[in-house]
Amino acid sequence: MDIELSEISSFIQGIPPFDTLPKPSLAKLIRELSINYVRKGEMLPPKGINEPRLYIVRKGALSCMTHDGELISRLGEGDLCTEFCKQILHIPNDIEQRAPRQIQSDEDCLVYSLDCKVISELTEKFPSIDDYFSYNSSQRLKQKMSKVNEEAVISSSLMNTSVSDFYHSPVAGIDATQSIQDAAIKMTEHGYSCLVVLDNTKSIGIVTDKDIRRRCVAAGLPITAYISEIMTQNMSTIDLKNNAYDALMLMTSKRIHHLPVTKQGEVVGMVTVTDLMNNEGHNAVNFSSIIHKAKSLDALIEISILLPKLQIRLAKLGASADHVGKSISAITMAFTKRLIEMAEEKYGPAPVPYAWLAAGSQARQEQLAHSDQDNGIIICDSMKPYDDAWFESLAHFVCDGLASCGFIYCPGDIMATNPKWRQPTKVWQKYFDGWVDTPTPQALLNSSVFFDLETICGDASLLDTVRTNLLRKTTKSSLFIAHLSKNALGLRPPLGFFRDFVLKQNGKHKDTLDLKHNGIAPIVDLARIYALSQGISAVNTIERIKQAAGSAAISTSSAENLIDAYEFLGFLRVNHQANRLVKGLEPDNYLSPKELSKLEREHLKDAFKVIKTLQDSRQASF
Amino acid sequence: MHSLINYLVGYETKRKRLLKKVPKGPLHDFLSVPFPALDTPIDELPILAVDFETTGLDAKADKLLSVGFVLLDQEQIKLNSSYHQIIKAKTQLEESNVIIHQITDAQKEQGQPLATVVEQLLKALAGKVMLVHFARIERQFLQQACLELYGFMPDFPMIDTLVVAKRKLDKRDVAYDPSELRLSNLRHQLKLPDHHGHDALNDAIATAELLLAQMANRANTDNILLKDIIL
Repeated sequence: MDIELSEISSFIQGIPPFDTLPKPSLAKLIRELSINYVRKGEMLPPKGINEPRLYIVRKGALSCMTHDGELISRLGEGDLCTEFCKQILHIPNDIEQRAPRQIQSDEDCLVYSLDCKVISELTEKFPSIDDYFSYNSSQRLKQKMSKVNEEAVISSSLMNTSVSDFYHSPVAGIDATQSIQDAAIKMTEHGYSCLVVLDNTKSIGIVTDKDIRRRCVAAGLPITAYISEIMTQNMSTIDLKNNAYDALMLMTSKRIHHLPVTKQGEVVGMVTVTDLMNNEGHNAVNFSSIIHKAKSLDALIEISILLPKLQIRLAKLGASADHVGKSISAITMAFTKRLIEMAEEKYGPAPVPYAWLAAGSQARQEQLAHSDQDNGIIICDSMKPYDDAWFESLAHFVCDGLASCGFIYCPGDIMATNPKWRQPTKVWQKYFDGWVDTPTPQALLNSSVFFDLETICGDASLLDTVRTNLLRKTTKSSLFIAHLSKNALGLRPPLGFFRDFVLKQNGKHKDTLDLKHNGIAPIVDLARIYALSQGISAVNTIERIKQAAGSAAISTSSAENLIDAYEFLGFLRVNHQANRLVKGLEPDNYLSPKELSKLEREHLKDAFKVIKTLQDSRQASF
Repeated sequence: MHSLINYLVGYETKRKRLLKKVPKGPLHDFLSVPFPALDTPIDELPILAVDFETTGLDAKADKLLSVGFVLLDQEQIKLNSSYHQIIKAKTQLEESNVIIHQITDAQKEQGQPLATVVEQLLKALAGKVMLVHFARIERQFLQQACLELYGFMPDFPMIDTLVVAKRKLDKRDVAYDPSELRLSNLRHQLKLPDHHGHDALNDAIATAELLLAQMANRANTDNILLKDIIL
């Protein structure tokens, strides 16, 4: 009878990559396990073990350290230690090359172990196991992000859209007695790639471009043959009451691109894969147009209540953080523009040309619902001192309006209502020059806000001139870049996770992960430094990294890794916030490790590694 | 009584004496291999962790239902040596026991004869020390089985994790609840993973893990010898 090592088996089964093993292989693997008890303070491998083995912590804790005692990671229950398998499994070293490690037990440990040869055999048989071990952290992250993006396409808003919303009607039909050539002519004339074949009025099949190619031309069938000879009979159809997701699933499973739509059994139209794809992503556009039509502040406030709902919807639809950020930023921009229009109606036209500026996350197009406002006004140098009264009124009207719409006042008073940030071009220029020439702590703080600046409304040339001068200066000022880098490196990502805690660089534990300060902000900071040092005018983080890729600041592959890390962190943030918004809670950036799957923790650790490596190389460059 | 005899005679002496009497066969083969010496350090000691499931506590009246064992060699538990076998007993199972062991009559029918299972156990046990939790059951049932099958009752050098724990508690001279000595409670005290046993192999593994933890938690962990922990 079977030996059911059920407890051990269910433990191992919960650990990636073994969770992908089929039952019989898992049972075989378990028979290869050995169990050791490692006393606190002892090193791995345990005494008496000479062959290289993979260790799995069953109970207790292990520390991985460099030989000079720097903590690299801590392993708790269910964590794998691959340190001794690297050669046999050809595990690539992580992007950072560190001194050989030592593994020490922090507590009395019960460890399971497997001969690396056994794992090696598994990697030959199972691609999922091979992938797990043969990718380094940045490769694993890349794979994860491509999967996330794939899922986003599939599970997007299709669930919430009925087939009846976007099918083509009426459908073009052709009588079964007509020739293949007739069909081809009809398709060409109407620009259809598909026709329904009719027997009198009853639909009996479907014929597509592909059928003509494969079943007629390639098969050498005369074009005078009946169309019914090459049609697909017993065609799949979908009732128009179904949702778009069902349609996509049906098309995917049958590998077809056209699906006749029926109403009470009668073919009434057609959906194509292209229709499904085109149905995506117009939400933010609709939103903006409603805002544009709003007649009063009250109307705007009413619309703004929907903003968190839009963020939830976008997140649930699987939109990327980049997409969500751009959508929300676009809407904030629409609110701001509409408020400015209202102000101009109230106070009359501006005395001199000016531009309304957004700073920080809105400028970078990375804003989320409930974020605070950061803004300013840049005014043409021809302004007279008494002109400021008009701009002051504008500032108060717009900032108060934004606040009423849920964009709270900036706690640091970085707003157009502050006279300091409502200035003519020459003063702005002087500010920037001062910050670059004398990088005091306050100057560096201002830099991080005001170097991400975008024109929302008004004369864009005002800011462009200042920015061009600024970038000319920053590309030459290595001292400023060095100070900015040093400042940015203050925010270090954690090492990873240990049990249900976040493990910090100093070995201490924290209950929650601050996604913003421990992951996203450090990447935003790095991207800004790359942009300023390379004279890149883009402000969006991904755009900055893309443009800096391959320059002296960052290599192409590191840039790709950093974007993957950024997107993954953003993905977690957007989903975390959506979950909170659904529960009626304030969205925040604090993630409890308990919310994360084992695999997500691994990916996060990989993202941290990418950030840390690039921070280290930044540090080494000055 | 047993300890006293062991003390006076020694299990090696008894093994040699019995070997001369026992005819060729599984028991003879078992007795042909010398047991580990009393001064063998624990980290060199070959140990077989064993557990039996039975229909009751009386070796003469009750039956052996299943046998599980696993090798603990050089302080390493090797699951590729693990063994679990249900025995095809002649008696009907009582309902109360079915609940405990989860061995049904149907499963029992697929079992192997007692002779085969005991032979395999003896083969694995040759030259090793037997590790159990609460020695009385395994000792009496195995001796009874040997008596029925081969006509002799051999003696087995054993380590009992219950006694290892009890000796430590007795030394402290503080009253304790006997339930503290249960396998699952002892494991809990030593922070081993939760164990929900009642299958002979899982219990044998749980016992082997417990011994490793007990050895690691001794006041003096250096150079523990068999004689320090033998029953």
